[in-house]
Amino acid sequence: MKITRRELLTVAGAAALGGYAAWDARRLAPRKLAGKSAVAVVKAASYTEDLAAKITAGIHECGLDVRGLKVLLKPNLVEFDPNTCINTNVAVIAAAYETFLRLGAAEVLIGEGPGHRRDTYALAELARYRTDLEHFDSLFVDLNRDDVSPVMGFGDRDRIYLPNTALRADLVVSLAKMKTHHWAGATLSMKNFFGLVPGAVYGWPKNELHQVGIPESIVELTRIFHRSFAIVDGIVGMEGNGPIQGTPKQVGVLVMGSDLPAVDATCCRIMGIDPDKVEYLQMAADRLGITEESRIEQRGEPLQGLRTNFQLVKQFQQLRLA
Amino acid sequence: MKPCAETADEARVAGSYLGARVNALRKAQNPDGGWAYFPGKQSWLEPTLFAALALHGEPEADRAWELASSWQQKDGGWRPSAEVGFPHESTALAVTVAASRGEFGGPFQSGVQWLLGAAGVESRLYKRAILRVGSMLGMLEDQRDYSLEAWPWKLETASWVEPTCHALVALKKAAPKIPSKELRERVRLGEEMLLNVRCVDGGWNYGNRTARGDELRSYPETTGIALVGLQGRPELGPAFDLAAGMLRETSSPMARAWLTIAMRVNGISVPAHEASLTPDVLITALEALGAPEGNHSLLKAAA
Repeated sequence: MKITRRELLTVAGAAALGGYAAWDARRLAPRKLAGKSAVAVVKAASYTEDLAAKITAGIHECGLDVRGLKVLLKPNLVEFDPNTCINTNVAVIAAAYETFLRLGAAEVLIGEGPGHRRDTYALAELARYRTDLEHFDSLFVDLNRDDVSPVMGFGDRDRIYLPNTALRADLVVSLAKMKTHHWAGATLSMKNFFGLVPGAVYGWPKNELHQVGIPESIVELTRIFHRSFAIVDGIVGMEGNGPIQGTPKQVGVLVMGSDLPAVDATCCRIMGIDPDKVEYLQMAADRLGITEESRIEQRGEPLQGLRTNFQLVKQFQQLRLA
Repeated sequence: MKPCAETADEARVAGSYLGARVNALRKAQNPDGGWAYFPGKQSWLEPTLFAALALHGEPEADRAWELASSWQQKDGGWRPSAEVGFPHESTALAVTVAASRGEFGGPFQSGVQWLLGAAGVESRLYKRAILRVGSMLGMLEDQRDYSLEAWPWKLETASWVEPTCHALVALKKAAPKIPSKELRERVRLGEEMLLNVRCVDGGWNYGNRTARGDELRSYPETTGIALVGLQGRPELGPAFDLAAGMLRETSSPMARAWLTIAMRVNGISVPAHEASLTPDVLITALEALGAPEGNHSLLKAAA
């Protein structure tokens, strides 16, 4: 990198001021959430188990009523590498699709906007979505290239453009993958919403979200898509240099709930990550959801015995749960 | 690699291949003159301009250009659709289309000026300082040279491979009409940036060689786009061997289309390819451009 020491000193003060200004501009509600949130943890040793039954059990544990709702399933489809497990497994998507229809949803669509790859359908084929999900092409919306509408207020920006399919859904279901993330610490149901941001407006990658701030963007998208439910695919997760170059990690769980910060905090505890040290969860705590362990009502499997430490890149070693 | 030379049989196959795509594009044109990414949706600048290039010289392309022209903003940039209120990297495509149409008036001139004024935030002094601090603290391992100004998808964001390639094509086409030192320098820096972010396997992804110290692999679609942006550079020989391998192996119609366009723009023969039509308008337009008798030459810098 070519820059002189003098240049460095000249801008150091300006950078600090800029950072303060960005922080001050966040549109976050004051801490106010009270009570408890339900999170269901359901064991599933493999993708060949009856996942629809397990998702049904989790939805019932969380008291979610989907009758008459327009539901958008938002899997985590990022890239394809046959040697690892980057994406939400197709079996989880198929089970969720079947479950939401069976529970009375008026419509169930699948949508995703990958952050790096432009040919979403080709990527969906590699991830076996197109081959294993019946009528995939008629159910799927490429959110990168959907029609868009503005939503006012996003971090320090005055607006963000978002896909109409997601904005018009009564319920967005974050079908996330349990993974470490080399910039955010962990990518779970909240970070999965990056795929709702349209590449046709913000590009590939969606660098606008990094400029606004990764934690800020995660929190803002969770705020905007508050009518949501999370199903985290933790049957096989990813550890190490996630979300793309990490290695598979067998965990054997599905984690579900309507309070996305609570779901993600629970996933973190399963992964051996301290949610209080994950910046976006700190920001979301008590504003968008509950992250405190004592205020999360654990349904299904107890957390004891489920913790399996995910390897963390050296920059995130400090996130390790004591 | 051999120069372009299609056999009679290849030309026959390609003729029907091109015809099917041209017909599909005609049918998918929106009443406003533009094209959506998928039929029946809102018009966007990107598919509209690629379809206009594919149908260059046809009345449909004129209608498309009329719509696209209405999306140019006062600052010279083009917004990506009627709904989005800020200028976008698709401005480069608009400049390319204007040059292809031989329209070098005010809109073209202001579009070029917008491109010359646009650069990724990472090349700004304070960002380079922050990145240097990050590097010193061990938070960044990549060795990218952030002084190489290139192009972002959107102003106030970082520069990446694809918008840089489209800007390079536009500015190279503009160069004969605007022979400025600034333009030549931006082209030089943009090309250097592309070579700087080239993956270790010799191709390109969206624009990062590494992530947290691990090498990232290239993608076929961005490798094709990069070879269009870098057309004319002498050191690209091995990259075309890589591109030929990607062309054989990829299952992505978009990647196949970009790799084909890249080979043809660089004067390299490509075997005729049978493929079914896709409802994806952008891919259809790219496939039409890349057909042997398609308008791929409009993406040549010298065309």
